[in-house]
Amino acid sequence: MSPPKQRARIPFPSKQLTVSPDEDLVRRVRAGDAEAFETLYREHAARIYTLACRMAGSPEDGEDLLQEIFLQVYRKLGTYKGDSAVGTWLYRLALNHCLDYVRGRPAKMKKITDTLDGDRSYQPLARPDAPDARLDLERAVERLPDGCREAFVLHDIEGLDHREVGELLGIAEGTSKSQVFKARAKLRAWLGAR
Amino acid sequence: MHPSEAVLNELVDGTLAPAERSEVERHLAECAECRTSVDGLRELARAVGGLELREPPVRVWPRIERAIRLEGAPQPGRARLPATAARLTGSRYMWAGLAAAAVILLAATITLRLGRPGARPGAIPAENASSAAAADAQSVEAELRQASEHYEKAIKGLEQIAKAEEGALDPGTAATLQKNLAVVDQAITESRAALHNQPNSEPAQQSLIDNFKTKIALLQDTVALINEMRKGNQAGAARIVSGLKQKA
Repeated sequence: MSPPKQRARIPFPSKQLTVSPDEDLVRRVRAGDAEAFETLYREHAARIYTLACRMAGSPEDGEDLLQEIFLQVYRKLGTYKGDSAVGTWLYRLALNHCLDYVRGRPAKMKKITDTLDGDRSYQPLARPDAPDARLDLERAVERLPDGCREAFVLHDIEGLDHREVGELLGIAEGTSKSQVFKARAKLRAWLGAR
Repeated sequence: MHPSEAVLNELVDGTLAPAERSEVERHLAECAECRTSVDGLRELARAVGGLELREPPVRVWPRIERAIRLEGAPQPGRARLPATAARLTGSRYMWAGLAAAAVILLAATITLRLGRPGARPGAIPAENASSAAAADAQSVEAELRQASEHYEKAIKGLEQIAKAEEGALDPGTAATLQKNLAVVDQAITESRAALHNQPNSEPAQQSLIDNFKTKIALLQDTVALINEMRKGNQAGAARIVSGLKQKA
């Protein structure tokens, strides 16, 4: 995946955020209330950590990204204008950071992709209706090759359309579709689905 | 003739034009194989829709808190929160901050180039290949040595903190921590031995770094646990202890 020449605008996420915006919380943080920043973290950390883990492809990298993202939030909260919900502003910042991270590791991406594509010994995971299916699906998403994983996460999980995904990843809309379809085929095979 | 996989995906996504959709649905009525594919795609979509948010490890917030505290000094071009920074700087948790922040900086600055030669096959002209490979090997070795030194320094700092405060932990938790640390130390020893035998082995290099990271994470959990206990946050401490026991 070649990086785009210019960063595309992060679109509004199609799925509703589960946490409500809290302008008062931002005002308190700006006023120097340390507990307010911790509250902001507690309200939004799970959503951002989940996004980071899936985009990066590992909980370890997701943890590092979460930490970096909230340090950025701390540094940039002064630039928050209040023209969108806090959750939306945080989501955009987090997604931008995840995309920067993904683009910054081309060598590792290539290596992982090669490994996965050549892996014939991959053991099928549980079927989607098995008790631990959600965990298996999370693991399977993490193991998707770079490129198709990001497209799958943004389209099928985050709910963006292919045009938006293409703009963010610097690929054509048709490439976004083919990457998502490829990811679905791999997931179905790994999960033992029909 | 069967519709392509792409068309079946578009059908499930609801992005086919009405005429094409009708045509595909007529085909599905007669083709069990394609119906199975479509059912599988819909089953996957349902499973994806049921994915839940993941709670981050407890240790992340204390690390952020400490890093913010270290940003207390004015920095050009950055929006900062002076009162927050001043308040945090004066907190009683300052002692743990420096070592933990060192680990954070370490993670941000070290970029090992493990696997780099293999990631660019054919990029080096044949006549230069051996010298370039040797230079790469030396470069990777130097970076690995530098990374190891940084990790070991960070581990030492965290170990000192954990040791100085181990009396704050109950005997059962301390024993669990010691058991986990012993396992990680054994893994580090084995990684070092493997690397000694095969200095250019990428898996051995990666294994050593991964084990360093595991030990740092464990020590960070220990520091976070001590902090939570000092704060009197029983729920936070219990979450960390639960995580430690799961790893034991």
